[in-house]
Amino acid sequence: MAALVQIENLRKEFGNVRALDGVTFTVEAGEWIAIMGPSGSGKTTLINILGGLDSPTSGKAVVDGTDVARLDEAGLTRFRAEKIGFVFQQFHLVSYLTALENVMLAQYFHSTTDEGEARAALERVGLADRIDHLPSELSGGEQQRVAVARALINQPKLILADEPTGNLDEANEEIVLRLFRELHAEGHTILMVTHAHSIGQLADRRIDLAHGRLAQVKLRV
Amino acid sequence: MFGRLLWKMLRSNRGRLAVALVAVASGATVISALLNLQFDIERKLTQEFRAFGANVVISRAGSAEGADASQSTPEVRGSPALMDQAAVLGQVEKMQTPDVVAAAPYLYVVARVGDVPIVAVGTWLDQARKLQPTWKLTGGWDPSRADEGRCLVGRNVARQFQLAPGSEIELKYLANSAHLRVADVVDAGGAEDNQIFVNLPVVQKLAALDGRIELVQLSVSGTGPGIGNYVSRLASSLPGYDVRPVRQVAEAEGNLLDRTRLLILSMVVLILVLTALCVLATMAALAMERRKNVGLMKALGGSISRIMELFLAEVSVLGAVGGLIGCIAGVALAEWMGRRVFGTSITPRWDVFPLTIAMMVGVALAGALPLRLLGKIRPAVILRGE
Repeated sequence: MAALVQIENLRKEFGNVRALDGVTFTVEAGEWIAIMGPSGSGKTTLINILGGLDSPTSGKAVVDGTDVARLDEAGLTRFRAEKIGFVFQQFHLVSYLTALENVMLAQYFHSTTDEGEARAALERVGLADRIDHLPSELSGGEQQRVAVARALINQPKLILADEPTGNLDEANEEIVLRLFRELHAEGHTILMVTHAHSIGQLADRRIDLAHGRLAQVKLRV
Repeated sequence: MFGRLLWKMLRSNRGRLAVALVAVASGATVISALLNLQFDIERKLTQEFRAFGANVVISRAGSAEGADASQSTPEVRGSPALMDQAAVLGQVEKMQTPDVVAAAPYLYVVARVGDVPIVAVGTWLDQARKLQPTWKLTGGWDPSRADEGRCLVGRNVARQFQLAPGSEIELKYLANSAHLRVADVVDAGGAEDNQIFVNLPVVQKLAALDGRIELVQLSVSGTGPGIGNYVSRLASSLPGYDVRPVRQVAEAEGNLLDRTRLLILSMVVLILVLTALCVLATMAALAMERRKNVGLMKALGGSISRIMELFLAEVSVLGAVGGLIGCIAGVALAEWMGRRVFGTSITPRWDVFPLTIAMMVGVALAGALPLRLLGKIRPAVILRGE
C-alpha cells in the first residue's frame, strides 16, 4: 500500500535562511507522527508545506497522491479544503462566530453546510452545551476542542496539529490529547508538532528535526 | 450560511461600519436632494423665467416690431405692419396647449391726455397681467378683458396727472376720444410706467383700426427645446407672420439651465468621490483588522473569490442601506431647498431612489478597494502571527 504522505528531499529557503534542507520520510495512513525539534528547526515550515499553506523551494511533498509542490493557488485552496484538517496552537477561531458557526465555516468553504453534522462534531468533543457560545466565552481547552471539531468536520485525510496543547493548562491538555488518541484509534492520520516529549511518546513515530534536517526517527517503544 | 456569516460580520464591525454608513448616508442625502432638484429644476426655472414676461412674439413678417415692443413709443403703424386679429388669435387659440401660460394681442397708439402725448396700449388686460407677473398693481385690481370703461395707468402717468384708482381720464386720438376710469396704477419699473393700458377694443375704436393688432405676445413654459418646438409649429401655421422666441430670455434660460446642470453634476461627482474616500479609509482599517480571519479562512480552504464575496456583500449592504437612508433624507432636504430657493415644494422623483442607491453601492464597492489586499495574504505568515 502506498504511503499517505511521501516527502522526498524537501527544501524550503527564506532568502538566505534554509528552513528545510533535504528532508525525506513517509507516513502511512493511520499513523500518528510527532515532529519534534528545537525552535527554528523547520517543524512548522514542514507542517505548512504539507498543509498547502506554503510551497517548497524544491523536492516533493505528496499527500494522498497529490504533489503539493505542483499545485497552483486554486489547487492549494481545494487541497486544503478537501484533504487537510488544521489544529493550531493559537486555536484561530473567528471571534464573532459561535462554536457551531466556527465549525460550519469549514463546511462552508468545503462544500455545503450541515448544522446537524456540526452539532454532532461538537458533541463528540464534549461541547454539546457550549455550541452557541462565542470563543471569548470558552476556556482555552474548549476553544481548542472547537478547533479539533472544525478540523474533523470535512473528514480530512490528514490532520496537521501545530503544538495543539502549547497554550493549554494540564487538565485541558489531557482532554485534548485524549481526543487525539481517540482520533488515532479511529484510524485518522495525524502529524503533530510538539515540544513535549511526553506527547511525542504517544505517537507511533517521532521525527526529530534539527537545522532543517532530519535528525532522527524513533518508533514508539 | 452566507447570510449568517454576512450578518455576523456586519454586527461584529458595527462601530467602524457605522462611520462608513454615516458617510454613505450623508453623501446619498445630498445627492438625492440634488438629483430631485435637478429633475424638478427645469420646471421650476421655467416657472421663474415666466416672471420675466413674454418669451414668444408674433408680428407681421418684416416688421421691425417684436421682442421689445413694450419698450418703444410707436406711432400707429400703417396697415403693412398690422395683423388681422381674428386670423392670428384664431390660430393661437387652435394651438393652445397647457404650456401656453398667457397670450395677448397688442395695439399701440400715441394718444393725448389734454395736450400731453401718452402711449396707449390696447391689449387684453387679464392676459397682459399674466404676461407681466412682476407688475405691482397698487390697488389690487383683478383686470378683466371685457371692461372697456376702465384702464391701468403707469406709475409715472399717475404721478404726472395726479391719478389714483377711481380717477377719471379722457384719452384723445385725432377726432376720437374715450372716457375711462382708472382701475389701478401699474408699478412695472420700466417703460410701462409711462403708458396707459386699456382693453384692445378701446384703442381699436380710438384709432379706427377695428380687427387690427400690431403684435401678439405669449408666455410659454417648458424647456428650451420644447419652446422651440412650439414656436416652429406656430410659425408653420402662420405663414406670412414672424413667430420667434424672445432671444435674450431664451438664451438666459438655456444658459442658466446648462450651468445649473453642470453645477449639480459637479457636486454629485465631488460628493461621490468624497464618500468613496471615507469608505476607503474605513475599509482600509477593516482590511488590516481582518487579515487574521482571512488567513484562517484561506487555511480552511476558502478561495479568495468566496471570501471576497462576503466582504463585497458587506459593503454592498452598507451602500444600499446608506443609499436608502440618504434617499429618504434627501427628499426632505430637497423639499427644504425647494422652499428656500424656489419658494415652492419639490415633487419627489421616485426614480432618484434606485439611481442614488445604485450610485452608493458603486461608491461603497469602489471604497472597498483596500480589501483587494486581502487576496495577497499568505495564511502561513498571518497564522504565525507575523
